[in-house]
Amino acid sequence: MATELNRSKRRDISREYFSRERLAEHHYRSFNAFLGRGMQEVVDEKATIDTDIGDKEGEEPVHVELGDVRVVTPRVREADGSEELLYPQEARLRNITYSAPVFMEMSIVKGEEGDERVVDSTETKIGRMPIMVGSEKCNIAGFSDQELIEIGEDPADPGGYFIVNGSERVLMTSEDLAPNKILAEYDTKYGDEIQVAKTFSQRRGYRALVLCERTRDGLLEVSFPSVSGSINFVTLVRALGLESDEEIVHKVSNDPEVVKYMLENLEEADVQTEEEAIETLGKRVASGQGKNYQLKRANYVIDRYLLPHLHEEGVEEEDVRINKAHYLCRMAEACFELALGRRDSDDKDHYANKRLKVSGDLMKDLFRTALNKLARDVKYQLERANMRNRNLSVSTVVRSDVLTERLEHPIATGNWVGGRSGVSQLVDRTDFMGVLSHLRRLRSPLSRSQPHFEARDLHATQWGRICPSETPEGPNCGLVKNFAQAMELSQNVEDEQGLKRELASMGVEGIPGLEGIERSTADD
Amino acid sequence: MVDVNSTSDCPECDGRLRTRGTETICEDCGLVSAEDSIDRGPEWRSFDEEETDRRRTGAPLTRSRHDRGLSTEIGYGSGSNADYRSRLTGRKRRQITRLRREHNRARISTKAKRNQVYGFTEIQRVNVSLSLPDSVREQACILFESAQSEGLFPGRSLEGFAAASVYATCRTQSNPRTIAEVTTVARASDDELTVAYDALNRELGLPTGPIDPTQYLPRYASKLDLGTAVERRAHEFASTLLQNGAVSGRNPSGVAAGCLYEAAGEREEWPTVTQAAAADVADVAPATVRSTVQTIRKL
Repeated sequence: MATELNRSKRRDISREYFSRERLAEHHYRSFNAFLGRGMQEVVDEKATIDTDIGDKEGEEPVHVELGDVRVVTPRVREADGSEELLYPQEARLRNITYSAPVFMEMSIVKGEEGDERVVDSTETKIGRMPIMVGSEKCNIAGFSDQELIEIGEDPADPGGYFIVNGSERVLMTSEDLAPNKILAEYDTKYGDEIQVAKTFSQRRGYRALVLCERTRDGLLEVSFPSVSGSINFVTLVRALGLESDEEIVHKVSNDPEVVKYMLENLEEADVQTEEEAIETLGKRVASGQGKNYQLKRANYVIDRYLLPHLHEEGVEEEDVRINKAHYLCRMAEACFELALGRRDSDDKDHYANKRLKVSGDLMKDLFRTALNKLARDVKYQLERANMRNRNLSVSTVVRSDVLTERLEHPIATGNWVGGRSGVSQLVDRTDFMGVLSHLRRLRSPLSRSQPHFEARDLHATQWGRICPSETPEGPNCGLVKNFAQAMELSQNVEDEQGLKRELASMGVEGIPGLEGIERSTADD
Repeated sequence: MVDVNSTSDCPECDGRLRTRGTETICEDCGLVSAEDSIDRGPEWRSFDEEETDRRRTGAPLTRSRHDRGLSTEIGYGSGSNADYRSRLTGRKRRQITRLRREHNRARISTKAKRNQVYGFTEIQRVNVSLSLPDSVREQACILFESAQSEGLFPGRSLEGFAAASVYATCRTQSNPRTIAEVTTVARASDDELTVAYDALNRELGLPTGPIDPTQYLPRYASKLDLGTAVERRAHEFASTLLQNGAVSGRNPSGVAAGCLYEAAGEREEWPTVTQAAAADVADVAPATVRSTVQTIRKL
């Protein structure tokens, strides 16, 4: 081995990893991605704000359409009304927030469908967004060391934090269990060992836990939000359109042992057709209601709360259902294989089963709830203005403090949406190393008052990702970790549709909405 | 926590009295003229781990809420209570939901209160849209309330009063906005604002005189993207005009724009600032700017 020869080169690489741009890079990248597309995605998800105007006789319905969202760079409005650019050091010294105005195109649309006309359409300021120091919307982005010194900034400062009311707050990276993955594990119920396949199905900030259990008598049961208790597996897949016995067995597994288990389940099944299955489901989700309502509710629950991550923009719910059935069959297979000892239970501490939520992801969650709050306020203001016979105009229905408040308060206090606390922390300025370590720290959401021995242990898959020695002593030991020096954090794909199209062209079947894609056959 | 007590002067030296915390002190000689036995400020104890968040009770009393911020809300549980396991379920939850709804309805007792709530939200909205400080909001709400208790509302519009309260407060705090600036973000029309402002001015005796054009300068300078040097020169022009009594009869906003235009011209920033642009910012006709410029040149 020529390790001796490469020493100087290795040193160069090492030094490169310690450069200013690298140390908090995961924070900028994540936040820049949020500013670049995350915000627009959240707005596009929302798309419209509906109002109750038009419910009365002889009144035209009104709704608001949301368009492009735009963030400028941080600036401050003085008491005398003048506005100027704000630099981080000034924000720190004056105890103000380093935030930039956010603008959004909004149009108020009046009239029935087909006869709609835009009453008012303008780009209006909807609030202020705290900006990460060093991100692309930061006023010091691209400054040379000399320029940084001139505006009172430390050229060695890594950035990657926010300034709210003059205090520097860093958003703690949090380590969560990977969503949309099947995890099989053992559990106990009434003293018996049972097998469970779990999935945290996540889509647009909505997170639903779907469980598939194999009970002690060998029957499969599924539970998901909005349905209390659990539902028979066969009933549910039949409701999803997988009707015949053969089909169901085939989709679960071809393994003779598993088939045997599956046949036991089918024998016990109390429904045979899709209609029957939906009826049974309806009785569960809306018992005591009229039959029509039960059916409506059952369909709604299936499409809305069951495995939401399988939904696709612009694809009929009907097409998604069969995929949900297939997914449930995969979960069933995992249960059976675990029961037969064909596989071990999944390791939750394996790093392949972990996802990191960095500042951009956290800000996206925050922006989503803030925008919803703003939408509710706009709806109220519109209805109010309409009731008092005022002209409806965009600029008079938007209260920009609503969004600002919702964005700044969690960063200032650390009380995030979803009840998590301690998400933002005061940057540790004890010394320079303290800052660097703090920016590269990550936290497990597990409670520190419980043992969780496995979660605290060093896992082999942390090699090269997590520092094996840097963790606090005491209750947080092993739950608070630090990135390894050469850690590289990958991001989610930008264009999920594109990825799926590519997969379909390579021969993956059953992706809804992409059936007609030409398959390119590999030449080799 | 600093309040300027302008109603009384120091009994010893006629200096200004200032209230700081529990004591009222003369700024010049340091005489403690009054003492409040109750400290009405927040308690400086921290109950959280964070040292930055020292407080024991909720937000301070405010005049900008119809109930002075003393309302009680039935919440949904927060912090560790927001955990899905400890959430209420079934009958209990439905009962609490009904209670919450009735409680919300009971918060507003009369039609007058409802009007006040509407006015206050409108004031808040206008205030935020104009990026005005919170003190303006507080003052505007007090003004709105006095207008209501004086019985000025019948026959005039609520939106007008809300907008006029903000306009009047800005004006009395020497930080004037033009009527047009307020009405672009307010729900009131120019007429509604003027009618309401006249009523306020007449019935409540607002302490307002003619607007000093210099008060517009920083804002317009920043809008026209002019430096501090230009602004300072414009300030000189405006002061000269004032001393010579050449301002009366002209829109002060236009005078400010004229001064800025002339100052910018001196520093050869012409291409960026035209008379039309200056007039546009000040919301006056270019002729007003032009005549001001001519007056400046004559002096």
